[in-house]
Amino acid sequence: MAVASPSLAALDALCPARRRTPLPGGYMGKLLHVDLTSGRCRDLGLPETPLLRQLWGGQALATYLLLHLLPLDATPFGPENVIVMMTGPVAGTGLTPGGTKLTAVYLSPATERTLGRAATSGFWAMALKAAGYDGIVVSGAAGRPTYLYVDERGAALRDASFVWGRGTRETEDRLRAAVGHPDARVACIGPAGEHLVRAAMLVNDYNHTAAHGLGAVMGAKKLKAVVARGTRRPPIRDKARLIDAGERWRRTLKSRTYTVEKRLRSVGHGEDWGAITRQNWRGTIITDQNEGFDQNRVTLRPCFQCPRLCPWDAEIGEGPYKGTVVHFNAGSEWMDTFYNLGLKGNAVLYLSERINDLGIECSHYADGAGLAFEAWEKGLLGPDRTDGLRLEWGDVAAVERLLERCARREGWLGNLLADGPKQLAAALGGEAGQWVVHTKGGTPAQHEWRPQIGNMLRELVASGGMKPQGGGSARPAPDLAYREHWGPLAADQPDGWAWSHLLSEEYRQACGMMGACWFALQAHEPDALNSMVDALAATTGWDVTLDEALDAGLRSTILQGLFGTQRGWRAEDDWTDVGPRFLEPIPDGKYQGFTIARWLPDIVQEYYRLSGRHETSGRPYRATLERLGLDEFMDWSVPE
Amino acid sequence: MTAVPLATAPGTGRRPYPVRRLLDGQPRTILFDAAKCIGCRQCVEACKDWNDLPRGDYFHLNSATWLAMAPPVLEGQASVWGRQSCMHCEYPVCAAVCPVEAIVKYEEGPVVIDQRTCIGCEYCIYACPWHVISKDDVSGKAAKCTMCSDRLAVGQEPFCVRACPVDALDFGLAAAMRTEAEARATRSGARLYGALAAGGTHVLQVLTHSLAEHGLPRVSTRRYPRHHIPLRVKLGGVLTLTGGPAGKWRAIKNAALRPWRLRYRYWPR
Repeated sequence: MAVASPSLAALDALCPARRRTPLPGGYMGKLLHVDLTSGRCRDLGLPETPLLRQLWGGQALATYLLLHLLPLDATPFGPENVIVMMTGPVAGTGLTPGGTKLTAVYLSPATERTLGRAATSGFWAMALKAAGYDGIVVSGAAGRPTYLYVDERGAALRDASFVWGRGTRETEDRLRAAVGHPDARVACIGPAGEHLVRAAMLVNDYNHTAAHGLGAVMGAKKLKAVVARGTRRPPIRDKARLIDAGERWRRTLKSRTYTVEKRLRSVGHGEDWGAITRQNWRGTIITDQNEGFDQNRVTLRPCFQCPRLCPWDAEIGEGPYKGTVVHFNAGSEWMDTFYNLGLKGNAVLYLSERINDLGIECSHYADGAGLAFEAWEKGLLGPDRTDGLRLEWGDVAAVERLLERCARREGWLGNLLADGPKQLAAALGGEAGQWVVHTKGGTPAQHEWRPQIGNMLRELVASGGMKPQGGGSARPAPDLAYREHWGPLAADQPDGWAWSHLLSEEYRQACGMMGACWFALQAHEPDALNSMVDALAATTGWDVTLDEALDAGLRSTILQGLFGTQRGWRAEDDWTDVGPRFLEPIPDGKYQGFTIARWLPDIVQEYYRLSGRHETSGRPYRATLERLGLDEFMDWSVPE
Repeated sequence: MTAVPLATAPGTGRRPYPVRRLLDGQPRTILFDAAKCIGCRQCVEACKDWNDLPRGDYFHLNSATWLAMAPPVLEGQASVWGRQSCMHCEYPVCAAVCPVEAIVKYEEGPVVIDQRTCIGCEYCIYACPWHVISKDDVSGKAAKCTMCSDRLAVGQEPFCVRACPVDALDFGLAAAMRTEAEARATRSGARLYGALAAGGTHVLQVLTHSLAEHGLPRVSTRRYPRHHIPLRVKLGGVLTLTGGPAGKWRAIKNAALRPWRLRYRYWPR
């Protein structure tokens, strides 16, 4: 099929309602097409089985469809932008860890030229499959606030004006009540999405967030939420084998990473290597940021049938926010977000709950507000442009007020914070361009990654500055020992990191494509990758191997790059379009003076070469497309 | 499976329902520890997964939900949880009232409704002191937790126990589970539920709060607790087409061969 002029008209041919090939196990066999402009919902089939075998589901299948559907001149907030949401065959089976994943792709509002990718877990993906759908294609734009309700009887667009303007928590509760089913699962946007904050999130099942601007694209389409429920379960080809593979997979998660005890004392992920982001990336030292955490009441709140126990709730037990209940997922970028603004203790958890309720990706706010606070400190920003708000480090009220202004684009500063740190730096002028952290206009996940070569590489090459899906592993996977011997992965030497990143990106992409969460994939444990691949084989009936899984993962990465290539992204953007502060030597602490900038652009170029793409343009080589069966995109390749 | 006549089991006396052996005759018990439970409902979904029951509607027990967690609110929105499912009584009154002896007590603990034999008379639904038996709208038959007797028959633990991510569920030989449950209850000042109710059960619960807060009823300690099957249900079982001619024939045959069992159904003490 030619993809020179993609358009929605391709949808029916790609997803025929009557299939010619048998449906593999795990799939419900239906996609939902929602055209918001006409208000019409209709059922489509899934692509034919040979394509499913190549792309499985999740990001890869969704991106493939988007490449055929989205016009090249589409804009992120125009009605022509298309959102493709996709689960995978293993999602909702209930028999593997992490079978919870749904990934949405669209044109990124953060960069306006790369793939936007929002991946989420929780229960919502399971509920969508229980309603009988593998995914949703959303096109057009509604004339008024709308939500989509999906169950086994079909789908309907309903008026959402009663929740428009509400936070994500209240929206979820009210929509669940409105549909009259306490078991309905809600994914919604908050005020930030409605006001087109470029990094607004989708928030689902309280504890889960899908980042990178999906909320803004939904807001532009006036789509407040998707509510799903149902009673169906994915058909499984070999249930006994899937239970066995799931059991093996569970065993790789036996050593529990997340416990109540850890949540009661941990300052977040940065604790693992001893560095957090402070004062707009100008400090890294952990001191007493966890003050008061031990007074809280913590409840672990795992995703659908996953034993990894990542998400958690807490009831704050002391101080001015005592009694506030907060809901988080695995990571802790929101904690680093507020450390980055000079805060500590339970004020951090309180504000984290606020940002999730408003629906803003935390790093977007962390790097924008961090820059604003630094500009205030250095006299580049005064009260005339903050509407009188004083931006003193550690001032909870100021941080919260600014957060609300960002979510609703209030005032000069709120509007620029909504656009992003890169835009704010340009508007501030002066030296602000040197103080900013961003990656291609997006923002890296908010952790102090700078001491870590692999993670820095991952953040730099992620599509359009979005939070990456996978990659960056520092520990070789024992299951790959049959074909790979990489390393030495020394913390202060660049050798091996590009290859390590590529491999881990491949298997983590594969994990997402099958509808599973790579947080549940502890690839450094023996049998983790093999049990994952066996789970897919048992579910679908395919004789899939680990080699094939790695190729499938690479296919997803190549499609992601192709999407950017078609819209003007080049690999060299990865090291040229970066906020300088992100590449500065680390200012203090045990990593003081370290920077990976000395190995740029070599290490990024090495990654692109290893992935079969040109090192500056990022275009795939012809041979890469041929090997992966993606010949139809040959127009966008380069000869080797 | 081997049918074992109860009269031969010393000390148990004769029983008003079929008793069979599944594996080795060693009684097992599920232990639920409310102090550890986080209300994630992975046990609930696991039950549906093993038994291929429809998803959804999992807040209350029904024919598609054989295990529920009280209270009926979303995960994470309560701090005290209770397990609502079959308690697998040592002296199951549901089995005693079944006119066609479709409910079997296994020596290893499970109380199981044989779907092929059940005639859908609803006697058991009204007799169960925990109200954990539901009638399937489609098949018209009674449904409930089986303690995963099909897994137990091959030496595996119930699927809900396997799924629990925080070890709030445990499974093992009855004596060991009893000792463990008593130790836990003593350690944390909790209460033990299920050891005495209805003459003893094969599900023990370590409870941290009142029965009401865990969503559990207070049940008499006597065997085959007093129950009330409405007259219309009794008459329905006798006079209507419930169970069809084959079902009626089985009921008549059972009544004729073992008339002493009738009093559990029609004249409870």
